[in-house]
Amino acid sequence: MDPAVAGQYVLNGLMLGMIYAMVAVGFTLFFGVLDVIKFSHGDVVMAGAFTALATLGGLSAGGVVSAAVLVVAATAVAVAAMALLGALIARTLILPLRNAPSLNTLLITLMLGLALREAVRLFYPNGSNPKPFPRLLPADAWSAGGFSLRADSAILLVAGLSAIVAVHLIIHRTRLGLAIRAVAQDPETARVMGVNFEAVVMITFGIGSALAALAGVGDALYYNEINFGMGLWLGVIGFSAAVVGGLGSLYGAILGGFLFAALQTVGAIWFAVPAYKDVFAFGAVILLMAWKPTGLIAEKSAERV
Amino acid sequence: MFRRALVLASLLLATLAADAKETVKIAFIGPLTGGVSANGLGGRNSADLAVRLRNADAGARYTYELTVLDDECKPNIGVQVATKAAADRKIVAGVTHYCSAVAMGTVDVYHRFGLPVIVWGAVLPDITYANDYKEIHRVNGTMINQNDVAAKFMVGLKYRKWAVIHDTTDYGKGHNKYFSEDIAKLGGTIVGTFGVSADQQDFNAELTKIKELKPEVIYFGGLTPIGVRIRSQMDKLGIKAVFQGTSGIVSDAFIEGLGPLAEGTLAFREGAPAEKLPGGKFFLEQYQKQGYSEGPEAYGAFAYAAANLIMDAIEKVGPDRRKVAAELRKTKNHQSIVGPVTFDDHGQNMVPLITKFVVQDGKWMVWEDSEYASGKRKLPRAP
Amino acid sequence: MSATPGRSSLPVAVAGVAACAAACWAFLEAESQWVVAALAAGVLAALPVLDRTGLRARFDAAVHARRALAPALVVTAAFALALVLRDSHFALLMLASVALYVTVCLGLTLQFGFAGIANFAGAAFFGIGCYSAAILAANTALPHLLAVLAGGLAAAAVGSVLILPILRTRGHYAALVTIAFGILFRTFLEVNDVLGGPQGLKVPGMRILGWSFNDPPPLPGGVEASFYLNYVIVAVALAAGAFVLVKRIESSWIGLSFDAVRLDETAAAVCGIDIARWKILAFVLGNFLAGTAGAVYAMMSGFIAPNSFTFGDSLILVSIVILGGVGNPLGVIPAALLLLILPEKLQAIQEYRFLIYAVLVILILLYRPQGLLPRRLREYSAPGPRP
Repeated sequence: MDPAVAGQYVLNGLMLGMIYAMVAVGFTLFFGVLDVIKFSHGDVVMAGAFTALATLGGLSAGGVVSAAVLVVAATAVAVAAMALLGALIARTLILPLRNAPSLNTLLITLMLGLALREAVRLFYPNGSNPKPFPRLLPADAWSAGGFSLRADSAILLVAGLSAIVAVHLIIHRTRLGLAIRAVAQDPETARVMGVNFEAVVMITFGIGSALAALAGVGDALYYNEINFGMGLWLGVIGFSAAVVGGLGSLYGAILGGFLFAALQTVGAIWFAVPAYKDVFAFGAVILLMAWKPTGLIAEKSAERV
Repeated sequence: MFRRALVLASLLLATLAADAKETVKIAFIGPLTGGVSANGLGGRNSADLAVRLRNADAGARYTYELTVLDDECKPNIGVQVATKAAADRKIVAGVTHYCSAVAMGTVDVYHRFGLPVIVWGAVLPDITYANDYKEIHRVNGTMINQNDVAAKFMVGLKYRKWAVIHDTTDYGKGHNKYFSEDIAKLGGTIVGTFGVSADQQDFNAELTKIKELKPEVIYFGGLTPIGVRIRSQMDKLGIKAVFQGTSGIVSDAFIEGLGPLAEGTLAFREGAPAEKLPGGKFFLEQYQKQGYSEGPEAYGAFAYAAANLIMDAIEKVGPDRRKVAAELRKTKNHQSIVGPVTFDDHGQNMVPLITKFVVQDGKWMVWEDSEYASGKRKLPRAP
Repeated sequence: MSATPGRSSLPVAVAGVAACAAACWAFLEAESQWVVAALAAGVLAALPVLDRTGLRARFDAAVHARRALAPALVVTAAFALALVLRDSHFALLMLASVALYVTVCLGLTLQFGFAGIANFAGAAFFGIGCYSAAILAANTALPHLLAVLAGGLAAAAVGSVLILPILRTRGHYAALVTIAFGILFRTFLEVNDVLGGPQGLKVPGMRILGWSFNDPPPLPGGVEASFYLNYVIVAVALAAGAFVLVKRIESSWIGLSFDAVRLDETAAAVCGIDIARWKILAFVLGNFLAGTAGAVYAMMSGFIAPNSFTFGDSLILVSIVILGGVGNPLGVIPAALLLLILPEKLQAIQEYRFLIYAVLVILILLYRPQGLLPRRLREYSAPGPRP
């Protein structure tokens, strides 16, 4: 294969992997503190993207034209709104079900995801159709042969990476992170030590959902199109990536995200009918699980987040 | 005195008769929730409009009531709701299905219960041609007609090299099959065919491959949502080929989703363009007037035409399923807002009027009226 | 409260089942959305009342006292319901679908509720049953009863390729294995044209020993009935068989081993329980049940396509098990009724129905976090209401 084209595939895979990784990190955080799967996570990604779009609409109507201001403001609003939504979900749906079998949380979040999706479809103006997302990032391209790197891709890659690093720093360098890790390791002891369990859970869900909003805005800026169903696949793939990487491990989620993107890209190149790429990627996941039953980065009880 | 009483009495009788109009139910079935719900809602609104207009018409013999059912675009649910409609003896006929796989599954149900239906959106040829059920009709054309016209037209424009992207649903696969056959017959080449899944988001890998193959045209068989994604990602990778779609992308959402990037996109759809026929103009005005929150989309006009065909038949032969089915089958050169309708032995509308569209300045223009046809604007050419 | 269970059990059990059947009938026949809403609210309000007054405990005890009683009563009730609804095609179709979904969910209960293997590919195994029955019935002269059996065997056999990863993984990791399989299965069916591709397959109606299921059943006295009555009979019989099987397993030492495996694998292994054997048994048997139900479903609906076996459909199955109360085979029945018939009854609100449906399920779960009928602890003392 032409090295320039190969480079293009790698770049495409990296972009895709970054979005997957950001979603997967959310799953791994939630699992870390509460041992639950939150299936509405993909739909929170979607809701974040739509919040950003609505904000952009409002700002443009208000006369703001600077692309930089628009991007920053829309992202900030989306992140803040989703963080609140995440905390709210934890408060009203997840914590009340803490003593029920853990899969009941799965069902309730599944239904929440459906409700979010349907609500956007029904109540966002013309929400059942795909929506264009404005091109706000500089589109200058640097190309060589079959390879072209656009400025917007580079910006998004760097932004995604820094977001994940920021989450890592919060968890490993702050007092809040210490509390999160304490709850992850042993909620009862943490509580005895004076950690406000419920607050920590809500904050963790807030952080995970903020990251999901960021993934949503990144996705929107990269593909310039959003729709109410976009979270469905992102949720499934993000979950798969988190599990393949090893639930509870931040690095595992990142690794899983990029691995999944790589599998899909390789599948799309290999097969005459690219739709087989999902058969290929999920088949590989089954084999991986047989080989590494607790994920690539195995869970250690001392370090769950 | 006596005469005046007589007149009064007859007037009274007339109003009584008008009040006592019998209510007749017809069903509408389409996807109202999930991925392709935009089309389902557009069809629902259009059928609803037809019923409302008819009920407002004092000359109609019956009052009509539309029973709306959601098939979710899923065959198992489709069979369920089809049974519900068909087993309900009060329902005389149905305007049914946008999704081909659903229509394939339900034709047997309608046949078994003897419910006459007109398909308003599903394009798979087998729906009418793989059976000879007298209950099944279809007002829209099949994908065969569409691709015949598309292939001839494109070859006429001197394009020779295509890459095909299609979704792996029956819709996309069928379009790929018929278009590829036509192109081979006409001497063009398909340099690569890419089946993709209908809910895919990222097409960079496929498009990078296509970029290497250097096609003049990218043929896309699929619906608006992934059509928007593919066209937009083509641009990011710097692919300059013509984007040629099927009826699935002839929607306002396609243009709204792409903005200026939609310019120069070609697509083909059965039926006359609604805005060009007098009835079509009326339809669009009335649709606006009712204030539906969703647009009619590409197939709304067909649902409207189908509902009207059914109501015309009921007006003529009364609310009897068997008679309505027989009456529908006799339809010949019936003027509708999608052009004249004539059903063949299989209940298929035989007048395959295919309209060619091109996007010009953010609007789907009929090709013949566009500046592309007059030579004022040019479609991209391979260097 | 301390009445001897033996004597008072029969009327309590009969009354309980009859009340449920009456509620089902009202639910199936209700047309107006207000009646449906009132009914749903009534049923939901009745649950805590039944709990508080101890009526449910008495009912449970009554059912517990005579093992064969519950299935016999439920089957009788289902048939009575079917006879009352005999000429209403749609209600019977829904009833048969519910019975088939109950069968699948009993399989999932075996896997998940008993042995602790979360199976998120229920729809895929159901689909394997559908496809094998479709192919066998359309292309071979194999008697249809055997085709149904073959559907179950095929599902069990295909599921066996997952045994190794299932045995090695636990909890959410095992869940991912099945999720991956479910998605892979559906994508493969759609992309590959060998089995009809996205266009799906037509399936001939069931025919057993000259009894054609797609013709109205010959009822005595020339009573007219829908042909779906045939399918209701088979589906309910299948569900009842599955129920008896699952109940027997639960109360036997096999069920005890399942519990041990689910609750603590290490401890179970220490006690000499062969974990692999029990997990394989639960997984294979569960898939077998899903496959047989699928085979009957395919012949009943006459048409199958990959789009009916998506990840979303698997999630509906899991939802039924969770909503019913994980591990309680009886809970599956009201949950299946609710999750299958509710969306159908919400058709009147058209595009809003899934929003309302989701909100309703969320409320039910907040209200009853353990599910509709939570599993009870095993009792080794004499069965009866607790003091």
